[in-house]
Order: sequence, then structure tokens, then C-alpha cells
Amino acid sequence: MRVALALLWKDLVTEWRSRDRLVAMVVFSILVVVVFQFAWPALEPDEMRRLASGVLWVTYVFAAVIGLGRSFAMELENDAMTALALAPGTRGWIFLGKAAATWLLIGLVQALTAVVFALFFRQDLLPGAAGLALVAGLADVGICSVGTLLSAMSVRSRFRDVLLPVLLIPTLIPVLGAATRASAATLAGDSPPWDALQPLIVTSAIYTILGFLLFDFVLDE
Amino acid sequence: MRGVRLEGVGLEKRFGRVAALRGVDLEVRPGESLAVLGANGAGKSTLLRILAGLSRPSAGRFEAHLADAADPLSRERLRGHVGYVGHASLLYGELTARENLAFAARLHGAGTTDDALDSILGPLGLLDVADRRAGTFSRGMTQRLAIARAIVHDPDVLLLDEPFTGLDEVSARRLSGRLGALRERGHSLVLITHDPRRAIELAERGLVLHRGRVRARLSAGADFELEALREILARLGREEEADRAA
Repeated sequence: MRVALALLWKDLVTEWRSRDRLVAMVVFSILVVVVFQFAWPALEPDEMRRLASGVLWVTYVFAAVIGLGRSFAMELENDAMTALALAPGTRGWIFLGKAAATWLLIGLVQALTAVVFALFFRQDLLPGAAGLALVAGLADVGICSVGTLLSAMSVRSRFRDVLLPVLLIPTLIPVLGAATRASAATLAGDSPPWDALQPLIVTSAIYTILGFLLFDFVLDE
Repeated sequence: MRGVRLEGVGLEKRFGRVAALRGVDLEVRPGESLAVLGANGAGKSTLLRILAGLSRPSAGRFEAHLADAADPLSRERLRGHVGYVGHASLLYGELTARENLAFAARLHGAGTTDDALDSILGPLGLLDVADRRAGTFSRGMTQRLAIARAIVHDPDVLLLDEPFTGLDEVSARRLSGRLGALRERGHSLVLITHDPRRAIELAERGLVLHRGRVRARLSAGADFELEALREILARLGREEEADRAA
């Protein structure tokens, strides 16, 4: 656990000082929202409300891909990844620390994106904000778990920028399907339905356990 | 005397069709220092990564034992007994020297109090710059901080991959003195270097690798001296050139 907390602290401090991952994700998310605004310039607020969940999750996923890609790329500078691999004990804690740091960053970006989306499309997201936060938080556990594992696997490849989204997005289909449904209900003023939350919880738990167990092999040569 | 013995028997390492190590035997006893020499591509760094528990041999047996234990250490536990200095610094440029050290200490479960960290930074001449970001350091300072990071958990064995590369003579002498002091304190050293002078200065025994094979073993008091070492390296260099020409 101490290793996971050390990684979390290190990632947040380095991110706070460089802000390269956060800025890239925020700028990208805003641009996607702007593109949607151009795509549907005359959409009424009521019509947009029905599309909101899909728009938000498309934006969230692509922003997450950017954040996850950078997560281990920064460990390549000065070969810091070797220092992580040298940590004694179970390397799964390294995985958890990295995933937790990305979870916090992605959550922050998602909150900012939701605000920008609400302003651009004249939506009042406040009534459903708590439900949306719950759904996003759960879905982000799955996204960050499998994303951290795949990011570590692909980071040493020459094609890592292509490889990560190609591997990640198909594995996220169960998470995205459930998250979009749960978010749509939340934004419509209802509680997130259990039949959408359940697959989110199960898939996120499976991805987290798999990431924890497999990470030892990923850091090996 | 500190306590880990490293033993490799018939170590081989392949990367696809390329054999980096071919049947290397070696032993590093507790408190002993060994220099590994050889040209680029001889397999030195690959060997060091196996000793650090970073890489598994493709064939052969590698074991590490605590001095008084019969059972070998697992790779997970071995990593806690090893300090590693690689080609790169393994540091984060955005963190200060002290933060880099504290992070490495946390990974290894070592003390992170200011006193504990200062006791490592001080002898390496880094106390004055402890709160400066590592990304602003000169090559010499970076290398000393890399050594500090490697010894922050007081490892039994220190594995050094060409630690003098890129250092001027003053910095190299300073680093050499510090490594000598660590050896005096009972740390085992495995030093990879191109420089026979540094090898003689810091190690008791030498191992010369050429194309993944051990070509010479040199022991203190017998043939581990500068001229013999230079002669062996020159002979291997001539062999290499002859092979290339052929």
C-alpha cells in the first residue's frame, strides 16, 4: 500500500509542476465539445439533453486515452520505469498507484468538461450532477485499470500512440455501454438504474484485479 | 560483513535470435567487488539487469542467497537488497533531489525523514542543492543523485552500469572515492566499466565479457592489474576488428 501511495504522490506532484497531461486533456475535451457544437448548431436544448450522455462519454473516453498514454510515457524519461521495476514486493501496488493518480486527473477533466458542455449547449446538469459523478467515478475505475495496464504494455512500442487506443477502446465497450445508459438516466432526472450500475461495478472490479495480478509480468522484460 | 551472495551458472539471454549472454558463470560473495569489462555489445548491461532481478535469464540458473540462508531469495525480495545505477539516471526531473530520494525510499520502505535523507545527500555533496529540481542538475550532480537514489535503502549489493560515463575527471574522482567508501562499509559492488583504471581501483576481481561469453577471469594478487587488463581488452579489440574485416 505504501508503494501505491508513493506513486500517487509522485504522479500528482509531477503533474502539478508540469501540467502537461492535464492541459492536454482539458484542451482536447473543450475542442471536442466545440466540434459537437459546430456539428449540431441548431439543436434545441431538449434534443441535446437526449444526446448529452453520448457526447459526454465520447469526449471522456478520448480525453482518457490521452491521459493514459502519457501516464507511462513520462516514466520513460531517464528510464524511471526501471526504478519502478526495482521496487521490492508485489508490483501490483505500482499499478494501483498509477491507476489512482490517473483516476483523479481524469475525474477532474470530466468535471471541467461537463461544465463546458453545460455552457455551450445551455444545459442544467446540476440536478443530475451527483448521479453523473457516481457513474463517472465507477466507470473511471474500469477505464483507468485496464488503461493503466495497456499503457504500461504499449509504452515501449514504437507504435504506442496507435496501439493504446486500438487495444483500449474495444476493452472499454462493456464499461461505456453501461456508463452511457446510467448517465442518460441521471441527466433525465432519474436515479442511475441498477442494471446499468451492476455491469459497471463488475467490469471495473475485474479489470482492477486483473491489472493488479498481471502488472508484475508487464514490468518484466 | 553484509549479506547477499549472487550466483549465476550457465546464464544465457536471448532477444529473439540475438544471443546477448552465452553460458556465463559468476559468483559475487558478500562484501566482494567485481568489475565487468568488455566492448559495447559484450552483454555487460544484460548481465547486470539479471543480477538486479530486472530480467530473467533465457537459460541457466541465477540465485541470490542471504549469507546465512540456504534457500534462495525470490526476485521480489532480491530487489530490496540491490541498488542499481543504470545508463540513465532513473530520476524525475520535476522532483527536487530530496523528493526523488524520498520517493525511492518509500518504494523500498526505507526512512524518509529529513535527517535520513540528508545523511545520504551530505557525503555526496548534494546537501546545498537538495531542494532544487533534478532536471536542472549538471551531469555530475545527476550521477551523484543517481547513486544516492540507489543507496537510499542501504542495499547489500550495488550494481553500477558505467557510472563514470560523461563525468569530468574531478567528478569521476569524487564518485570513485564515494564508491570506495561504500565498499569499505561492506557493500558488494558489481561495476561495469570501460575504464581498466577504475576497475582496478574499485574491484578485487575482474570479469571480461566478449560477445556474451566470459573471456577472462582476473583475481586480485594474481593477474588483476592494469597492464594485464589492457592487454586482454586490446587483444579482444583486435579480434573484433579482424572478424569485421573478414
